[in-house]
Amino acid sequence: MSLAIETIDLTKRYGALVAVNKLNLRVEKRTIHGFLGPNGAGKTTTIKILVGLLKPDGGRAIVLGEEVRVDDPRARLKIGYMPELPRFPKHLKAWEILDIYGRMYGMPTQERKSRINRVLEIVGLKGRENSFIGEYSKGMQQRLGIAQALLSEPELIILDEPTLGLDPVGMVNVREIIREVMREGSTVFLSSHLLSEVEQICSHVSVIHRGVCLASGPLKNVIGKIAGSAILEIEVTEISSGILEAVKSLPFISNLQVDGNKMIIEVNADGDIRPDISQAITKSGGVIVSMNMRMRSLEEAFMQLIMKSR
Amino acid sequence: MDTSCLREGKNPRIIDQIAAIIKYELLWNIRKKKFLGVLVAAFVATTLTLFLPVILSHINNVALESKPDYVITNSGLGNLMIFLFALVTIMNSISGEFESGTIITLLTKPVSRTVILVGKIIAAFITISAAYTLLYIYMVVGGIAIYGPQENLHLIPLCILGDILSTFVWASLILALGSLSKNTILTAVTSIIIFLAMLIGASIIAVFTESAWILHYLPGSGAIGYLKAESSATYTGSISTGTDNISKMIIQYVLHPSANVTYIKISRVQGGSAGIFKELYAEPLSLVLSRSLIVALMYIITLTLISWYAFKHSQVLE
Repeated sequence: MSLAIETIDLTKRYGALVAVNKLNLRVEKRTIHGFLGPNGAGKTTTIKILVGLLKPDGGRAIVLGEEVRVDDPRARLKIGYMPELPRFPKHLKAWEILDIYGRMYGMPTQERKSRINRVLEIVGLKGRENSFIGEYSKGMQQRLGIAQALLSEPELIILDEPTLGLDPVGMVNVREIIREVMREGSTVFLSSHLLSEVEQICSHVSVIHRGVCLASGPLKNVIGKIAGSAILEIEVTEISSGILEAVKSLPFISNLQVDGNKMIIEVNADGDIRPDISQAITKSGGVIVSMNMRMRSLEEAFMQLIMKSR
Repeated sequence: MDTSCLREGKNPRIIDQIAAIIKYELLWNIRKKKFLGVLVAAFVATTLTLFLPVILSHINNVALESKPDYVITNSGLGNLMIFLFALVTIMNSISGEFESGTIITLLTKPVSRTVILVGKIIAAFITISAAYTLLYIYMVVGGIAIYGPQENLHLIPLCILGDILSTFVWASLILALGSLSKNTILTAVTSIIIFLAMLIGASIIAVFTESAWILHYLPGSGAIGYLKAESSATYTGSISTGTDNISKMIIQYVLHPSANVTYIKISRVQGGSAGIFKELYAEPLSLVLSRSLIVALMYIITLTLISWYAFKHSQVLE
């Protein structure tokens, strides 16, 4: 599988603080890859290295097959980047700044015009393109940030907290935009503190903490790998030690807690194990009142992973 | 979606990118309140220069004489205006981008930092040239209207070039400070202190010490010299010989190519308040002018290279 982003032992220090610590990251092409981590985990530092804003102290970063270096314009031709809380010169109008950026990409006049119109339409700023950016709300600046990242139809779009400052409708729109650009063949690499958002739109995820990648891969695999594949809640008429022993003895049970007549079971298996558990309880003389199975959320998996690493 | 030139693998031309940066910067410059404020102040100062003799002649009830050399004699913007134009045009050109965070979007576009810096410098050149051209046009039109037909107006483009060169000595210093500190207030305060130190220090050194030669190699107003035609025994006027006064020196050189510049020290008479003048040394105006031009260019080149190095190697931490 060809990679859009690859980091090999990537390291960045700020004095004594190691912000990124031998980070190994692999982002496959044509995926929406979430980059998760608590505040100060090293997400933005990593992204800044990937777009050439920071120089790493060690290791390598390869983006779309090219080694990343500070001040290498060629490498940035195929990348669209939206920083966290993007800022633009307040004295310029949205159309003016997008036109200037388009010129920097070498887009011919006609293509530039149609592309600017298109991205303004995508982010919902059509009709406001001739207002000064200084008059824009934070949410509008955020939309403009996405517009400029999409302007050149990049192969790789890197978004740092793309929905920060947006209202719920704006957040839904951004998710739609991200899905749309992925469908058109781009790779999207996004960092977000909103785990539910990553869960909704990302196909792949990497979890970073204290500059180290704790888990990476397809979303379902990461969740399953971190915290078991599912949680089963079974209510019986009466819990006995025999029932508990029978359930515990099953090979795919990783944890069991009792709450009144309810058993909360962490299950670590790929297939549907409900018939096996049901049989074990019935054989031990138990009567099942209800059985609910739910997948762990990314949030639960993420919290567990972070707690483990502390 | 449309098929973009990028998907087809084309590369942008550097000339287009420089044009983009120039547009980016020019739109900023002409919308800066500080810049517009200094431009208005310069027009007010020019208006005063033009009308003050008119007002005085009315007050004194004396008829205003035609002065064919009025414009050329009063050409040259003066130290303060030159410094202020440099300051307001370029002080936040680099540091302001870092402070506001706009540098992040700019540096992640496929443009090299060298191109960004070159574009910004060209934009500053265009802005300052346009402002000075407007001011000189106003001065010439006003001069002709008030004082009658003017002589030597063909020297006005040289005056503009001289003033631009003088401005760029300060502009490159301010740009270097901004690129190194990435802090606009620090840049502005430091450059104002340097400007005032040069202005006040130069006057003290030039008038009261015998070390006027030091001022030949510093930016600013420089040493004050007294002009004397080669054949004449009397001084025809004084002239500041620093990098701020290149336009005036150019005019004097074109009008009096064989003139000499004499440097004078003032000493206090023992026990009294009166001063005595002591001639230190004299040198040809051609030498003074060419030295000032070389010193100005050396400052511009050196400080611009420092800016380029600092900007090229800066990292965006915030």
